[in-house]
Order: sequence, then structure tokens, then C-alpha cells
Amino acid sequence: MNRKEFLADCGAKGLAGVALSLFPWLESCTPKAQQEIKGEKARIGIIGTGSRGLFHIKNLLQMPEVEVVALCDDYRPHLEDAAQYFPKAKLYDDYHRLLEDSNVKGVIIATPLYLHGRMTIDALEAGKRVFCEKSMAFTLDEALEVYKCRERVGGVLLIGQQRLFDPKYVKAMQMIHEGKIGKVVGVRNYWYRNNDWRREVPSPELERRINWRLYSEYSRGLMTELACHQLQNGSWAMGMLPEKVMGSGSLIHWNKDGRDVYDTVCAIFTYPNGVNMTFESIISNKHFGMGEQILGSEGTIDLVTAMHYTDEPAPKGSGMHQLVEQIENGLMSNSVFAGTSWAAETSALAPGLPIMQNVKVVSGESSVGAEADGSKELIEAFAHAVITGKQPEKVLEESYYATQFALLADKAMKEGAILTLDEKYKIPYTPMKNR
Amino acid sequence: MAAEFTYSTKNADCAVAYARFYAMHTRVEVILPKVEESVAQQLVRRVENRVKELERLMNRFDDKSPLAVVNAVAMDGAVPVDDELFMALELCEAFRRGTGGYFDVAAGENPRSGAGYLLDGKNHTIRLVSADVKIDLGGFAKGFALEQVCRMLREGGVESGVVNFGNSSIAALGHHPYGEWWPIGVANRRSAGAVAETFELCDSALSVSGRAENGDYHIVNPHTGLCVAGDELVAVEGRSALVVEVLSTALYAAPHCARADIMREYEGYRAVELYCHSDGTTERKIIE
Repeated sequence: MNRKEFLADCGAKGLAGVALSLFPWLESCTPKAQQEIKGEKARIGIIGTGSRGLFHIKNLLQMPEVEVVALCDDYRPHLEDAAQYFPKAKLYDDYHRLLEDSNVKGVIIATPLYLHGRMTIDALEAGKRVFCEKSMAFTLDEALEVYKCRERVGGVLLIGQQRLFDPKYVKAMQMIHEGKIGKVVGVRNYWYRNNDWRREVPSPELERRINWRLYSEYSRGLMTELACHQLQNGSWAMGMLPEKVMGSGSLIHWNKDGRDVYDTVCAIFTYPNGVNMTFESIISNKHFGMGEQILGSEGTIDLVTAMHYTDEPAPKGSGMHQLVEQIENGLMSNSVFAGTSWAAETSALAPGLPIMQNVKVVSGESSVGAEADGSKELIEAFAHAVITGKQPEKVLEESYYATQFALLADKAMKEGAILTLDEKYKIPYTPMKNR
Repeated sequence: MAAEFTYSTKNADCAVAYARFYAMHTRVEVILPKVEESVAQQLVRRVENRVKELERLMNRFDDKSPLAVVNAVAMDGAVPVDDELFMALELCEAFRRGTGGYFDVAAGENPRSGAGYLLDGKNHTIRLVSADVKIDLGGFAKGFALEQVCRMLREGGVESGVVNFGNSSIAALGHHPYGEWWPIGVANRRSAGAVAETFELCDSALSVSGRAENGDYHIVNPHTGLCVAGDELVAVEGRSALVVEVLSTALYAAPHCARADIMREYEGYRAVELYCHSDGTTERKIIE
């Protein structure tokens, strides 16, 4: 089920208005909004055509409303790779020149983190509508500068927090806001991989350019590359921002190749109501993969697998009960419950129920991106915004705070301190309150 | 604990009884459509009593059970056992021979090809062949009980119903009130909501073996003494709940190359290997 199907499903059940009131940034996929851009083209330039840029390109190729008119990368092999997909696009090796191209209405920035802030500001000031990969910026100050720039010049700015556009997350958050798991009492995020996180380097002088993620001169490591995606879960679920942050990071395993970013991190974000959100990442063990769980007083929603578990599993919903319900309704259909032996119904072992059909579970192993993780929907929303010039509501604020708290946690680890976000970094934030 | 029992008359044309209780380390569920409430209650009570009786007989973890006594002392000499346990052990030995030795209730850490115990039909005694042999009827008891439960229900006048032992052993009496069979799907555990295979049960049973729900490999290949590390499910359908139970265990324990040979001995039974993937797809391979 994609975002459009999800909203159509909500519409069929009379819930479209409810979903939109909770998640207004999804408005671009309503039939009315689609009608608005019929026959129009979003003329887009891409700055940064490395692995993530190419990932977006493959999605863009499927969008008839998009025309990629310019490509930019200062690393020629990447630029040539991307040019194969858009032979008519103008090629640049300096993003300033691309920003001067009046044919370009919107830009997608998929460059190393340390360049995000500067490039976004330059693009906004050049009058472009901008999508920039997460994290939004390299420092707390720079993130604020980007936000204020967008406020000053207006226009469109979307950040690559694709979970906000992933139908299973949207559905899960809707259930959480409806009270399906009771009061939110905890948020767990983790992301484990077992690889060195390196990209192949054709010659040694390119090491730091290609493997920028590994060097603190260009990257904040696991916090900005991975945590940033997951940290919005707590705010999104609870409608509030963390009050304080603590954490610890170390370089314990991949410590022989000259990198200086942590390869293991653990952070705790405490909310004003006392609820904790955790984030842990280790890249020398992948057994548990990627996990994001919202823990409620009455149940749990696993965002990655889109499963809902109740703390007091009842036999209702078991396959045999489905059979009973069918008979009660004079129906016959397949009841799926056979398998290896049933295990005792503790809440941890209870089977849980999928929150929606046809969910594609993303493993989190790829450092480029994955199918059905909301990235395509996010770029579609951006294309829509490039045409209409309308900034989707709320999404920038969610992205801003995801970046700020990722950076703040990194700072807390480095300083060994419990930190709060300084008042000067606070921007207007309208929480989505649980009902 | 007495069975939980509900009786729904929501469908005026087809009332339906549902009961569940816990026995043999699992959950037992019974659905009986179109059976009068008091009759259904009575039948469920009898079923529960019978299953728990068998559990008491065959539970090796209960020190007082006759089977636990056999395991404790029968390596030192022949131990007399009652008719029912003797019959069960006779059946197990017959199935061991009838599955190339892959269904073996005496399988353990030490590889063995012959029988793990010796029965004396004249004196109704059993003797374990060595001190390291222990009998575990876990892979047999559910099928044995299910077979008896189905017979009891039929004798009680039930024409249509389903009995489910922990989702891995399911028997259908007659057909669904609104169809010609009971459609029972095997779940793809690696992909929520996905169906690995569907069986149309009508006066037949289904048994599924494979890696346990908690991820453990728990079925031993008697010839190697090692747990079988297969990620596939083996599902067997056929008219006898006991035979499908035995076959699903034996087939899972057996190497792939030996499986078809086992199935050739069991006419009218259908077995399938299911390789489930996390994208919701399943590769199916009929064992024949």
C-alpha cells in the first residue's frame, strides 16, 4: 500500500480528513492536489550524484511529472553515471553554476553532510525550491541558519526524513494518536549493522572525499546518518520534544583505518513527561538489525515491521477465532494460523497483528536506501511542491528537530554531559497531540 | 483448569461453539458449528478429560507419569507398562521402521539406527537399549490425542468441526458450514499476513513441522544425533491426524534426498516443503 492508496483507504472509511488533520504534509497526494499539477512539470536539478543521488534518480525516472534538467557533481565518474539516465540534462561540476540555471526550479541536494547547510542556503537564496538529504546541517547553529533562511526567503524546503512519508509509519502514528496502545511510555530505536561502512576508493587521495562519513571533519557519524531518521519517532508519537539528552559513543571495532567517528553509540532522550527514547547503533554486529518500537501502556507498535502487539493478548484475532467469526457472518475464507507449535502467549511471544496489508519490511542494511521506505513518496511530494511552490506543513519542523537532537546527542557523547537544547535553537513547533 | 467455552448464536442459521484449554504444553482449540450448546459443552469436557489423561500418561517431564518412570529405570531391566502406553510405544516403533528410522521417539544426542527400546508383547514390558536413551513422546502425543478426539467427536454426533493442537496439528471433521472444506492456511512467519500454503481440509488433518516459533531447531535426526537446522516448514495433509503428525516430524528430520522414499509408503498423504521468504513469497516443493 503506497501513500495514495493509504489515503484512498482512509477516504473510503471516511477517515481522510482525520488523517490529513494529523499529517497535513500528506496533502500533496490527495486527488485535489494531484489535479492541481496535472500536465505540469517539475524541472529539477540534482546536486550530488553519488549513491544516494542515484537512488533518487531511479525513483525520479518513474515520475512523469518530473523532468531532470541539470546534474552536478565535482566527482566526474559519479556525474557521468547519472548523465546516462538523463542525456539531455546540463552537466555542472560547480553547484553555484547549477543554481544560476534559470531552467532549474527545484534542486535535490544529496551531498556529504558538511555541505548540506551551505548548499541549502545558497539554493534557497537563488530562489530554488529545495530538497536536501538529512541531516539538515552539520552543526546546531547551521541548522538554525538554514531554518531562518527558509523563513526569510519563503519557498520550499524538504529534508530527507522519509519516514514521515512512509505509509506504514503514517498508519502506525495514526493508531498511536488514536490511543490504540494506550499512553506512550517508551520509545526504542536501534540500528545494527556489521560492516565497515566504507565505500570503495579508486585511489588513496579520494579516501576522505568518498568515505566522508567516517571523518568528523565532514560527518557526525552514526547520529546524523542513522539516528536522525529514528529520532523523530518519539516526537511524532508523543507530540513533544525531548527535554534532555545523554549518551556515550566509542570507536571499538573499526578503529584501524584512520576514521574518527564512533562505531558504537547509545543515547537516551528524556521527554518532559519523563518518558525515555533510546537510540543504539553498533556496526560490528547485525543480529538485531533495525528496530523502532513505540511502547504503550496497553501495547506496542513495531514501526519497522508494522505490527501491533497488545500487552494482554486475547484469543480474539487468532486463526480459530477468525473461523468462528466467519461462521457467525455466514462466510468462508482462508484462515491462516497453521505453523510450527504455538508458543505460550506472553506479550513478547504473542503473534501480533499487521497494521496494514502488503507491508514491505526494510532491513536497514543498505546505506544507500531501500525500496518502500517512504523515499519515493517524499520525492513525489517534493516534485509537487516544486510545481506549486507550496511548503508542506509541519514536515520542516519535524526534520529540524530530528537534526538538532541528533547533533545534540553527538555533542553530549563528546562532552560526557547531559544536555538540553538551548533556547536559541527552539523554533515554533506545533505538537501533534494524542487524542 | 476447565476449558473456556463460548457459544455464539449470532448467526441464527448456524450457532457455533468455541472452546479452548491448555494441555500437552500447548493450546487446544475446538470449533463445533451446529451442535446444541449443552451437547457441545459435554463433548468439550470429555475431550479435555481425555487429552489430559493422555498428557498424564505421556509427559516425560512429570516425574509421576508412567513414561517418566520408564525413562528413569528401564535401562536396568524390563518395566511393565499399561495397555495404552504399550500400544503407543508399539505404534512409535512401527512408525520408526516405516519412516527409515527418521521418526524416533528415542532419538537423542548419540546417533543410532536401530530401535531405542525393546517391547515384550507377552508381558507388556519395555526395556531401554542403553542408559543414554530417553523416550520423548512430544512428537507423537498430539497426533495420537487428536486422532482420539476426532473419533470421540464423531461418535458424539459431530458432523462438522475443527480441532487445533497449538496450530501445528489440526484436524477437520466434515466441511465448513459455508463451503465444501475447511480452508486452513499455513502462515509465512517471515512475513506478517502472508500465506505460505493453503490446505482444504475435509475429514482430514494437517501437521506442520519446522524450526520452533522461538527460532530453536529442536527436531533431532536420529541417525546423526544432531538437531536439524532446516529453515523450511514441512506440512503434511492426510486422513489420519496421527500419521500426518508422524510424517511431518520424520520428513523434517530426514535429509531432503530421503524424503520422497518415506512418502512412497503413505498413500493418500500429501507433503510439501515450504521455503518462506521475508518478501511474503514462498517456494513450494511437493515431496513425492
